[in-house]
Amino acid sequence: MAAQAKHDWADDDDLDEVSTDLPPPQKIQNKDGTTTIIEYRYNDEGQKAKTTRRIRYITHREVVNPRVAERKQWAKFGQSAKDGLGPAHDTTTVGENIIFKPSTNWRKDARDESKDPNAQAMKDKLKDKKVKCRICNGEHFTARCPYKDTMAPIGEAAGGAADAAVGMGDEGGAGPAATGAAGAGKKGSYVPPALRGAGAGGAGAGAGERMGGKYGERDDLATLRVTNVSEMAEENELRDMFERFGRVTRVFLAKDRDTGMAKGFAFISFADRGDAVKACEKMDGFGFRHLILRVEFAKKAQ
Amino acid sequence: MRPILLSGHERALTQIKYNREGDLLFSTAKDQHICAWFAHNGERLGTYHGHQGAIWTVDVDPTTTIIASGSADNTIRLWEVKTGKLLKTWDFPTAVKRVEFNEDGTKLLGVTEKRMGHLGTIVVLDIKVDVNAEQSDEKVMTIVCDESKATVAGWSYLSKYIIAGHEDGSVSQYDGKTGDLYYNIPVHELNQQITDLQWNSDRTYFITASKDKTSKLISAKDLEVMKTYSADTPLNSATITRKKDFVILGGGQAAMDVTTTSARQGKFEARFYHKIFEEEIGRVRGHFGPLNTVAADPTGKGYASGGEDGYVRVHHFDKGYFDFEYEVERERHNKLAAEGR
Repeated sequence: MAAQAKHDWADDDDLDEVSTDLPPPQKIQNKDGTTTIIEYRYNDEGQKAKTTRRIRYITHREVVNPRVAERKQWAKFGQSAKDGLGPAHDTTTVGENIIFKPSTNWRKDARDESKDPNAQAMKDKLKDKKVKCRICNGEHFTARCPYKDTMAPIGEAAGGAADAAVGMGDEGGAGPAATGAAGAGKKGSYVPPALRGAGAGGAGAGAGERMGGKYGERDDLATLRVTNVSEMAEENELRDMFERFGRVTRVFLAKDRDTGMAKGFAFISFADRGDAVKACEKMDGFGFRHLILRVEFAKKAQ
Repeated sequence: MRPILLSGHERALTQIKYNREGDLLFSTAKDQHICAWFAHNGERLGTYHGHQGAIWTVDVDPTTTIIASGSADNTIRLWEVKTGKLLKTWDFPTAVKRVEFNEDGTKLLGVTEKRMGHLGTIVVLDIKVDVNAEQSDEKVMTIVCDESKATVAGWSYLSKYIIAGHEDGSVSQYDGKTGDLYYNIPVHELNQQITDLQWNSDRTYFITASKDKTSKLISAKDLEVMKTYSADTPLNSATITRKKDFVILGGGQAAMDVTTTSARQGKFEARFYHKIFEEEIGRVRGHFGPLNTVAADPTGKGYASGGEDGYVRVHHFDKGYFDFEYEVERERHNKLAAEGR
């Protein structure tokens, strides 16, 4: 048929792929000392895939046994016969970073971490909570109240106070508490989840449910922002420096995606706020790798 | 540390071996090829093809010239490391579960499975460490395990003894030349299989791993249990690290129960214990299934683990690992340093 001979535009791509060879890999030297490598290959579905990598070469010299050096020159064979120099991406990948530090009390540390966010929050929540009767305010369950049959439950004011006791101790100051009060004031109107559970008493309580749950809380507690960090810094070094003041739960060092160099700021979360305060005082102005660190408490993410 | 993930196998790993210098890594799995890797960057050197069944075990001779492998296709095969060429095949009536070269690479032992009316045996073959030499067909020695089959075995220092671990949890010591049984000592719980046996650097003592959730450090000369490391999961493998006095244990729930447990519960972690104080000092997680094999880098710089999930994870330790010392160790080092001056 004539239609068959005529080339259908929908098949265009497929035909092109089969007919043309892969373009040769390109290497571009960037101004900042990195190299961009662009490679083409066919992926599992037979489609052409382009991989762009930006790499910085760091030469690291090591003296090895001559036999080891000789083995490095061996030609590849078997299923790897067609692989180029260096690790092939279909067999070798780099996993996520694992922090492994042997310690005699690692078991304790691990347990702290597992219960850290949730269990701790629950504990805080229940810390000042007492059993309180809705009828007489006595320390027993309402159902057990001796005045159950004779008195009606006392109104909203008392209920609000009880709620305040339930609310978690959170440093989120007057702002949310005030709005929380307004929300609770108009009973029945919609209160966004973030403001729920806020007390009418204004005791400074105001943490309701929040998006991102545990992370939000952790950050509020004891996170330091460290700026003016050397671009050669490593997370481990920061961890070592700050661990002197107490248990560090998280170290985040912002790094450039392409070059892997530090961007110059980091966040350090402590398990205990007291430690964070101490660290903030001591480390602000500390000289680290030819730069002077600036350490302050991280501002809450808005 | 950032582990390097090697995905050269499609099925569960069975054994990993470093060569003597620690620059090459050999891995076997239940699929039918052996992989050789460069340990420092995870680059694959090549694959060895020829086996017709799951490969249970691999070992490399001290000069990294040849490797031997044992498989469920009832053969032991000898390969040239450099090219992947098959040099020799020995046939057996049943599957081969373990092979090991002796210290100078002139002898190879193989542990064969008890099956189809055949008793489990330990066979010894003479090897010429030369890729062009004609290897002899003859079995120099055969030890028959009539009581409980051997699951693992190895050569002690100077090839003086052959030490075997059995299915019933006992360890035996045989003469390396005559095959006479000297001792058979129940070190692990009865009928809890010994799953691994690895040597320290001079082969004077070894570590066992067992399904009874413990691992033991045993001397080769008199089979004295020197240390015991208890875990909370059946163990599949154990190894002794160089440079630092640690041992690494790997295990996890049996493969068949894995789908019913989450990774967290399954305890798929490499456990580090202090060799002397028998205390657990840390864990490294990462695998999605039980760890079938762990191997310590002979240079002491890292270790590799292979899992039921088909991945090999090669780890290079951070500074924190090398700095870790117990208080008494530190005091001793300080004292020695002071005396030295």
